[in-house]
Amino acid sequence: MTQTTPEPGVDTGVGSRRSRVGAAGKVRGQLRHVADRPHGGCAHVAVHRSTRPHARITSVDVSEAAALDGVEAVVTGAALYKVLGDRMFTGPAFSDQPPLAVDRVRYVGEPVVAVLARDVATAREAAELVYVEYEDLEPIYDVADALAERAFVHDALRPSVVFGDLRHLSGKTETNIAYEYNLKLGDPESAATQGTSVGFEFWAPPVHHVAIELPATIGWVDADRLELYSTTQTPSYVRQSVADMLGLPLSHVRIRVAPLGGSFGAKMYDRLEPLIAALAWLYRREVRMVASREEAFLLTTRHGAGVISSMSADADGNLTSATADVRYDTGAYADVGPRITAKSGMIAAGPYKIPNVAIRSRCIYTNKPSAGPFRGFGVPQVTWSHETLIDELARARGEDPAAFRRRNLLREGDESYMGTVMHSADFVGCLDAVTEAIGWDTPLDRGSGRWRRGRGVAVGIKAVLTPTVANAVLQLNQDGSATLMISTVDMGQGSDTIMPQIVAEVLSMDAERIRVVAVDTDVTPYDTITAGSRSTYHTGNAVRGVAERMRERLLDLAAKRAGGSSKDLKLTADGVLNTASGEVYRVSELIHEHFGARGATMTEEFNYTTSWQPYDKETGRSAKATEHWFAGAVAVQLLVDRWTGRARVEHLAVAGDVGRAINPALVEQQLAGSAIMGLGHALFDELVFDQGQMLNGTLLDYQLPSVKDLPGKLTPIIIESPHASGPFGAKGVGETGIIPIAPAVANAVRDAVGVRITRLPLSPERVLQAMDEAGVEK
Amino acid sequence: MKPPLHQPTSVAEACELLDTLEETMVYGGGTAIQILIKQGVLFAGNLVDLSRVPGLAEIEETAEGLRVGPMTTLRRMETSEVVRRRVPLAAQTYGHVANPRVRNTASVGGNIAHGDYRLDPPTALLVLGARVELTSVRGTRAVPIRDFFVDFQVTAVEPGELITALHIPAAPAGNSSTFVKMSSLGENDWPAASVAAQVDVERRTLRLGLGALAHVPRYVEVPLDGRGVDAAVAAATAAVEPELDPIPDVRGSADYKRKLGLVATEDAVRRAWEEAR
Repeated sequence: MTQTTPEPGVDTGVGSRRSRVGAAGKVRGQLRHVADRPHGGCAHVAVHRSTRPHARITSVDVSEAAALDGVEAVVTGAALYKVLGDRMFTGPAFSDQPPLAVDRVRYVGEPVVAVLARDVATAREAAELVYVEYEDLEPIYDVADALAERAFVHDALRPSVVFGDLRHLSGKTETNIAYEYNLKLGDPESAATQGTSVGFEFWAPPVHHVAIELPATIGWVDADRLELYSTTQTPSYVRQSVADMLGLPLSHVRIRVAPLGGSFGAKMYDRLEPLIAALAWLYRREVRMVASREEAFLLTTRHGAGVISSMSADADGNLTSATADVRYDTGAYADVGPRITAKSGMIAAGPYKIPNVAIRSRCIYTNKPSAGPFRGFGVPQVTWSHETLIDELARARGEDPAAFRRRNLLREGDESYMGTVMHSADFVGCLDAVTEAIGWDTPLDRGSGRWRRGRGVAVGIKAVLTPTVANAVLQLNQDGSATLMISTVDMGQGSDTIMPQIVAEVLSMDAERIRVVAVDTDVTPYDTITAGSRSTYHTGNAVRGVAERMRERLLDLAAKRAGGSSKDLKLTADGVLNTASGEVYRVSELIHEHFGARGATMTEEFNYTTSWQPYDKETGRSAKATEHWFAGAVAVQLLVDRWTGRARVEHLAVAGDVGRAINPALVEQQLAGSAIMGLGHALFDELVFDQGQMLNGTLLDYQLPSVKDLPGKLTPIIIESPHASGPFGAKGVGETGIIPIAPAVANAVRDAVGVRITRLPLSPERVLQAMDEAGVEK
Repeated sequence: MKPPLHQPTSVAEACELLDTLEETMVYGGGTAIQILIKQGVLFAGNLVDLSRVPGLAEIEETAEGLRVGPMTTLRRMETSEVVRRRVPLAAQTYGHVANPRVRNTASVGGNIAHGDYRLDPPTALLVLGARVELTSVRGTRAVPIRDFFVDFQVTAVEPGELITALHIPAAPAGNSSTFVKMSSLGENDWPAASVAAQVDVERRTLRLGLGALAHVPRYVEVPLDGRGVDAAVAAATAAVEPELDPIPDVRGSADYKRKLGLVATEDAVRRAWEEAR
């Protein structure tokens, strides 16, 4: 027994700016990603892709491909169907997507035939030697085509078993609408007849995630069990999806993940996994596929979305009504589009107090690559609408756009038009912080001649995915170090860094002594998904819960040692302190004595599950649509070159209410990173299609912000309005910053040169054209 | 499929290979060819790699200006002291190509042989009146750069020929020049309009090289009447306008690129003029 005075070491608990775990390995290329797994002896997979947007497959000739030296097998969708039947159609909301097209192709680039070969080059060469004949069907290029209902992407809707509320759609024919959400409150039509109204038609184009690491999946069969090593944000989902497809018990499917080199929603649900799982299982062979950059563009996109909307205010400047008709182009397969349609649709009028609201939000099939989750989950597209409307409404009233927003923003305790009460969502605080940061109330030098200066602001709201499930298992090792088992995938957001901080805070430990186990469904417990900014709150709560249980256990052990009572015991950095006697029982000694073994481990587990109230069938409202809210704001000062139309951002301030920052440095990085990504979407980032053909799906042509496109000054601001049930008050921040960027930039362009643009991106050509059309003097 | 790579160790051997092999293509830094291979659109039966031929990456100072070996990297053109001193416009322009990784690999010869209409260096080389030295088993000839870019991705290099040097005359004292590059989307993207400009006070001439504004890089010479910069800008844009024939694509319409071309011309002329004063 030693008596020590606790010495304050480097604090690595909640609130510390602990540096990112594994950063050096990433920078030096030493960190092993999925595709770095050695691949001697495995079969490499390449696919032959559809050249038609919508067609029936009339014949497939694989003879030349199969005859090529080095080719092991050539597999068609029809062959897979013979073995797997309808189970080969998978998807998180609808079971509509086959790993290889069966009978019919639905977008240019859809996999039709897979080749297994001894190396990638042979596989790709053989894939080119496959000949497919098609009978063209009427293509549905966009939402307008789809709503004309002359042709249908799917003969009948096939909701998956996952979501009970989609069951009524099963078997529905003659429609391209996968899902429709409606919200009704009051009487927006008659409310809009008084006061001031504005209305526009908006468009936000499809964009791509462009994570640096390419999607990769490796599969093999080990003793009648299927194992996948894959780049996925959703290992628990993939395990279930693959088990369903192959008819295996969950115990016989193992999914492992390495830290991802970025994802942003691209590596979720069913990407390469169903195909690789099916091939590995059928051929009892290790098979491997690493998507090329061009293939990654075809795997998933962000929904292009049109919004026809309006907003009205009375003479006192209070919002009276809002309407929105939202159309998400979900491409050939629904993916998670129906969830996006409802979650984003329900807040399509923004974070404002509005007594009369009508929203219709639809998820629409077209003959394009499937759209799925993307940082923001459909919300940036509706924010583009409501933050433009409210800005223009303020201008129509001759009022300062920030002051007009401030009056109408939802506050703590307010019930939103969609029925849920606001808590820990400080919109006003975010708005005030960003406007102050860019000097909103200071005089603006508007520039002269060629260059004109303007300022713009926008706020954003998003609900966290609810209901969801998180679990954590904590193993305290006899030497006082700890091993944390969670199924949260670190993809750069920093979960491997902050989860140990939560444990460290509860157990008065050094976070450096806590290791997060790489996700392995054999070992790490079920977790819904790593997405939607949900991990800090949900998994964070599971982690806090498990750490608290561990603390109780340690105190129990210490109480035994101290002779019964735990009344005077307190866990400190040095061990359990007996405040009565001044004795300290080291954790290593307590565990050693308890088990009588060095190296022993003590394990606890904790579950954290959230619940919701489904949307009312009539009104679309819900008293608890979400567990918590994300609140953010962005303010921008920029210059517009009136000769070229190019906007140059001088200062961008981005604020997010994170409840409590577990690691302020990582929060600032998330805010800044999402602001830069959002700036790309505002100014030039766009997937261009012509007759279903993606025109710019390569990094030669696809635009991303480079270091030269960064704002002159970028100010991330943390707002902390603690959540009553968040771990130490915390919530996530992965998406908060990206949501209001595009309208803030457009509002600043409007301020600078007087043109209102409602189609993204605000490319220089589009700005110049708008100035020409408006007759703006150059 | 990657075509076979041949690695000669002398210019003579390289010329022999180019003369005897079928469907040859010279491999310099590889930055363009590697992309074509990846896209599966490289139509060449044999690659003749110059990396083992000694002496092709040298920059020599000559009485006239510079003699630059074809395997000199773009990065060296940007950073070399002698290039900066003798032909600052060339150094500036080479420094705008792509990014440092590409500039450290791409070669001076490969760059112009690629013949892409959007490349930056041709704009400066046109203004400076460079000459391209071409060698084959038949001998050596020189082609003025202003005659070099024949058609869309077609140059004056004939089958069997190899670029063995680029002669760049130094601009006479008292001249000033600049390079302006404008993109229509991301800043680091291919240019939608680029202009190299040189104000020759002595000869009362304005020389302009245009990139990305037609299917080939274009050269425009404008007489200066000494009435000041505004008159020079007016004369330059009037002379440039009929030469603009941009290709519409995801980076913008022909109309928008034409507008950008005129803005880039004005910017380049004003900046060069400013330097001349």
